[in-house]
Amino acid sequence: MTSTSLPDSLIATLPGSSYTDPDLFAQEQERIFETMWFCAVRSSELAKPGAFRTVDVGRESILITRARDNSIRAYFNVCRHRGAKLCTEETGEVKRAFQCPYHAWTYDLNGKLVAAPNLTKMPDVGRTEFGLVSVAVREWLGYVWVNLAENPPSFDEDVISEVVTRLGDVELLEHYDIDHLSVGRRIVYDVKANWKLIIENFMECYHCATIHPELTEVLPEFADGYAAQYYVGHGAEFGEEVQGFTVDGSEGLDRIPGVSEDQDRRYYAITIKPQVFINLVPDHVIFHRMYPVAVDRTIVECDWLYLPHVVESGKDVSRSVELFDRVNRQDFEACERTQPGMSSRMYAKGGVLVPSEHHIGTFHDWVNERLGISQG
Amino acid sequence: MIPACLLVDLPRGEAYRLDIDPPVSVFHTDDGEVFAIDDTCTHQDASLADGWLEGCEVECPLHASKFDLRTGAVDAPPAKRPVRTHEVLVQDGMIYVVPSTDAPNLPPCVAARLASGPA
Repeated sequence: MTSTSLPDSLIATLPGSSYTDPDLFAQEQERIFETMWFCAVRSSELAKPGAFRTVDVGRESILITRARDNSIRAYFNVCRHRGAKLCTEETGEVKRAFQCPYHAWTYDLNGKLVAAPNLTKMPDVGRTEFGLVSVAVREWLGYVWVNLAENPPSFDEDVISEVVTRLGDVELLEHYDIDHLSVGRRIVYDVKANWKLIIENFMECYHCATIHPELTEVLPEFADGYAAQYYVGHGAEFGEEVQGFTVDGSEGLDRIPGVSEDQDRRYYAITIKPQVFINLVPDHVIFHRMYPVAVDRTIVECDWLYLPHVVESGKDVSRSVELFDRVNRQDFEACERTQPGMSSRMYAKGGVLVPSEHHIGTFHDWVNERLGISQG
Repeated sequence: MIPACLLVDLPRGEAYRLDIDPPVSVFHTDDGEVFAIDDTCTHQDASLADGWLEGCEVECPLHASKFDLRTGAVDAPPAKRPVRTHEVLVQDGMIYVVPSTDAPNLPPCVAARLASGPA
């Protein structure tokens, strides 16, 4: 069956190789993750000057830290001397400087080369010129976003406009005051699937009634198969008997004060391409970041964010966390079940999207456009 | 007596590297005292003026050897030998260094040894 012979109800997916070809994945790394704004770490993880995290963005390792003036800085995690990886730990804290473990080239928190063996005998070596190479940084929603492009695109056009497209306006998001919420729980998932399978799964709810019994119980309209993301600015309503967004529909935590009456008892979901997925419910925000590491493997880091006093007082958030943790496990299991099929001979030309999934086609068009693949 | 820099140009917590041979660094401590010691760490060629000043002690930026500014003694390895201290005078707001006449403890420098022929 070719795509030209598809009945009107169906449109074609990407071909199977799109999910299995390492060369194509390398192009995605270059033209998507190393070019677009990438949500890297929660700002609160870098609590004080010298605290750092290293994150793989595309094919690059990026070192993110807080300087003495409390500003966030990001650098290529590569020594300017002979290219050794500067920081090998994923997270940590330096007192004053980053030192390459190979020849001890030493950089301060602003990236300047402050010391190296025999450096005073090489007065022609510029300490800024041979300092760490910076990466553009922006803090938004309490997260550090980085951009590896030589000429970074406008954050507002690239990122914030995505929210406007999804929600109608950015105020709806601002009501949740995500900057000031605290991380109540973080769960990291190692998913053996291509990142696009995970995005596509997040975008549709055709699967909800089948694999998400608890979620469908809380949000009965999900049984219809149309995801909250199908409609602009639509929040899925909690079921009548449901008290809160919890695994058993029991009461949630304290409601975020900015959440308006018409947002109350509703669930909103936004995908910010290429790697962020946010769920908004009245008492918490679930913030996913995807880190594609191989064509068939994606790390997903997920934060459950609550009002600071909820976290500080040690209130039990487990029923609240468990709902979406189960949803995530159910979703990622489905993605892992799908990944091997991508290399089946039968799936070489791909599969099909039903009407409630047709908006995934626009995601595919977007991927093709980024990669310069002609539509067809 | 060698003029180094004006005291007002050397804020507390900072160091000035005097480019003589061998170089000397002048430190202005947080308590307002001024000391001068050899700038070069005795372990490997690094400038102590680029190091980290804490109290009356400077930490080498390369391998964290520590030297006492008052005595030149090694407070923390890997350096083994002390640096020299030099007398400091402040006259009319100018810092002067009176270089020590002792032999310096410099780190191994193979190039210099080769240049001067077999020892």
